[in-house]
Amino acid sequence: MQRRNFLTLGAVAAASAVVAPALQAIDYRAEKPDAWKAKTVDDALKALYGKTLADAKEAHVTVKTPDVASNGGAVPVDMSCDVECESFALLEDVNPESLVIVFAQNDVTIPKNSVKIKMKKSGSVYAVAKGKDGNLYYAKKTLEVALGGCEG
Amino acid sequence: MRIKAKLKGDVVKVKAMAKHPMMTYDIAEKKTGSRDNANFITHWDGNVNGKVVFDASTSQFLSKNPIVKYEFKAAGFKKGDKLTMTWVDLKGNKKTGHTKIK
Repeated sequence: MQRRNFLTLGAVAAASAVVAPALQAIDYRAEKPDAWKAKTVDDALKALYGKTLADAKEAHVTVKTPDVASNGGAVPVDMSCDVECESFALLEDVNPESLVIVFAQNDVTIPKNSVKIKMKKSGSVYAVAKGKDGNLYYAKKTLEVALGGCEG
Repeated sequence: MRIKAKLKGDVVKVKAMAKHPMMTYDIAEKKTGSRDNANFITHWDGNVNGKVVFDASTSQFLSKNPIVKYEFKAAGFKKGDKLTMTWVDLKGNKKTGHTKIK
């Protein structure tokens, strides 16, 4: 446990030594540990941003997946945001915890990503961006999963 | 780690794949009898000459041997620059890979 924390601190410290603090991206694993334990989308958003989905606007963000995912162990997700943002997160409402990944943003990153994720069963994915204007923006996609993906 | 980085216009597009079992707590319990054996990448980042161009905090829910695509502004970077990526996992293992921007 301690060793893991030491290594994480070491990685952040090493990066900080090379890059100016204003340009540093946040390590959301280290800074928001509760977000990773949240079991619902709203709890994860509260831990990350202090807001819930009801506070977010369904705009500026797109999220795409197949309508039917044949393999729940590798569901392809494309997400993008067309406003400047501080972070860009992907969540779902079917797995034991809701938060999947957070892409921290700085002055050179572009909030446009593709990943493959595990989904235990049919449900929805949510891409949520924290805009530089302080607002939350999101998009939601509901999909069917033919073979659940959390059990290997 | 397999990384491909391509400079197109004013954007660098990257596709990276890490080799990692991404063993979730549920799978660890099912296959080994103990949730303590869970291990998955928790942080993955990339930099070009020390400038952070990618920073992702991740959960147990990325697929096994996870793939990620990302983009960053090309201003200040050029073909031939070295992109270095590092992941860290739950148990503290670390792996670094690099490629040249094409």
